Amino acid sequence: MRTMDLRLRPRTALAAAVVLIAAALLAAAVPAAWSARGLTVKGSDTMVILGQRWAELYMTSHPGAIIQVTGGGSGTGIAALINGTTDICQSSRPMKEDEKRKLRDRFQTMGIEIPVAKDGLSIYLHESNPVKELTIAQARDIYTGAVTNWKQVGGGDVLITLYGRENSSGTYVYFKDNVLLGRDYSARVQTLPGTAAVVNAVARDPNGIGFGGAAYAKGVRDCAIRKEAASAPVLPMPQTVQDGSYPITRYLYFYTRVRPSGDLKKFVDWVLSADGQAVVTKVGYFPVR
Amino acid sequence: MKVDARHAAGAARRGPRGRTPVPAGILVPIARSFVPGAIALLTCVLAIPARAQSEPPAAEGAAAAPRIEELNGRVESMTEQMQTLQADTDKLKRLKLSGYIQARWETAENKNDSVKVEKSPAVITPANTERFSIRRGRLKLTYDSSPLSQAVVYLDGSTSGSAITMRLLEAYVTLLDPWTFDRRHQLTVGQMNVPFGYEIERSSSVRELPERSRAENILFPGERDRGIKLVSLWTPRLETVIALFNGGGINDPNFPTTDPTRGKDYLARARWSEGVFDAAVSWYGGRALTALTGPDVSTDRTRFGADVQVYYALPVVGGGSLKGELYRGRNLNVDSVKTLVASPTTANPVTLLKPGAVGAHLATEVLGWYAMWVQNLGERFQLAARWESFDPNTDLARDQFERASLAIHWFYDGYTRFTVAYDVPRTEVAAAAGSGFTDPTDNLWTVQLQHKF
Repeated sequence: MRTMDLRLRPRTALAAAVVLIAAALLAAAVPAAWSARGLTVKGSDTMVILGQRWAELYMTSHPGAIIQVTGGGSGTGIAALINGTTDICQSSRPMKEDEKRKLRDRFQTMGIEIPVAKDGLSIYLHESNPVKELTIAQARDIYTGAVTNWKQVGGGDVLITLYGRENSSGTYVYFKDNVLLGRDYSARVQTLPGTAAVVNAVARDPNGIGFGGAAYAKGVRDCAIRKEAASAPVLPMPQTVQDGSYPITRYLYFYTRVRPSGDLKKFVDWVLSADGQAVVTKVGYFPVR
Repeated sequence: MKVDARHAAGAARRGPRGRTPVPAGILVPIARSFVPGAIALLTCVLAIPARAQSEPPAAEGAAAAPRIEELNGRVESMTEQMQTLQADTDKLKRLKLSGYIQARWETAENKNDSVKVEKSPAVITPANTERFSIRRGRLKLTYDSSPLSQAVVYLDGSTSGSAITMRLLEAYVTLLDPWTFDRRHQLTVGQMNVPFGYEIERSSSVRELPERSRAENILFPGERDRGIKLVSLWTPRLETVIALFNGGGINDPNFPTTDPTRGKDYLARARWSEGVFDAAVSWYGGRALTALTGPDVSTDRTRFGADVQVYYALPVVGGGSLKGELYRGRNLNVDSVKTLVASPTTANPVTLLKPGAVGAHLATEVLGWYAMWVQNLGERFQLAARWESFDPNTDLARDQFERASLAIHWFYDGYTRFTVAYDVPRTEVAAAAGSGFTDPTDNLWTVQLQHKF
């Protein structure tokens, strides 16, 4: 085995050492300077109100704490987590494998997943729609375009107007994966920028159908869902979501790059505390603890 | 108490029970288009109650009806225009534009103020190694035509080669299978990365050291080739790749666009991923051709590869990883070609094997490997160190290349990183008889600013 002669000349070695030591010192000093800007929370539109309520209450009870909350969709939040522009990503779906790989490429970590609330995904109908319930298969057929007329599922003889979310939305991905079983949305789906926009559209359109967080259903009617044709129809109520009898339920997550520490840990711990979980209930979701 | 101003305002207007959210971003341009309409609408709405106060209820209803009808018409019209805009926006969203720029300054120990003049007519080569350059200027266009197909065109402009040109780096079409839930099989045809090994497939925009290992540079120059590949994800952990390529890559000086051998080179790769532990093996087989005056010489071009990555996280400090990769195989050896093939001269303008030389000896057994350590220091710094070795002919002593590389990155924001790297290569060069070998003084500093978009 040969020995290595690095031929590192004294001046070069000194310069290299100076640069690396300076860099290491900066590495130690700069994060503290950056932390002064506070915590940033970004991601799911479904969770943006929840995040804001948490931030407001936390900052009230922890003077000096600064938390900035923005939406944009789960995909946007995960991208921000990967490129380092947010401390916490709020997501209404789990991270995908390729997203975990991108995070690993930059930060050498797989990310930390923290379920912070539970949500029922409601299917909204217009108040006047005679259809009261659908099976998951019928909902799938409607959103994939196999069923286009309300008559085919027990309603009037009118075309169904489909409302949905943009593909950066975690709700879009969750609905596609769990209700459409990965199939593509019908090209007739009108995509809207937020759950409340979907609710508003359905509230105005007697032939409309939409989907989104159960907490948002105002001015529209929740559709009862049957898991199978023979199953009993279940409405997205607090009890049915929490006990799992409502078939379209999901967790809402916080994602961080590494295991939370310092201010980040304090905030996450508070969110999971009784005070934080009380906010979940007030906003209309369901606590995980 | 501080909440982001945009969303604090939004929070006041919306709520979970159906209060309207701010349709940020997307509706902004739409809103601009409809400002005049909105003003007219507002004027009409304000006008209605003003008139209602001065008229009796029956007359009020009769007067308001046509106005309401007109407003409904306007709303319908705006809705139609929004739907048209949305359709256009949806089409634009299928086109993704991405890329990165690496602006670099390099200085090596062997810098000087001279140039090299060779051959007749004279070819002047700058010998100085201190310079600013654009190492990579990449632009990638991806069009997701449908959920089942995708096209990519990837261009590169740099000043590192012999010319300043924009060249086609990749151009391919990918078909995604319609049978599986999450499109687990993807067929790609065109010019693409050769999917052999870990570092080949990693974008230079995320790699922790400015350049790939010497073994990879020699065995897969340019990293790309033209052919077809099938990538299959059998489980979330197991991925396989099978592929056929021309074999020469895109930088072959003699056959840049053609394949001189009838048979195609083939590749197989299997990767197992456990999240914090990834491992893969690769196999590549094919033939390389050396064009001579008279019968050409065809030699083996085989490579076996194995790579492994282990990830960990240190409290407070951040994530880190240990990575290693091995290359083994048989490759056309440039030095063997120089030794065994007689170059054409004015008196004898032919390229032939020297008397007694064996064509098969143009290829030699090669062995290369590297081991690397990467450590994130907080959120904005990253340290990387690599030790590598490449032996272009395992039967020959004193021809090894070894290099120690060190780099530190500062991530200015989510898109920009600043890199300082130092390479200490040890190149064994045959010296005068009796003195063994020499190592040129060629240690290299690289300072680079990269922006990725």
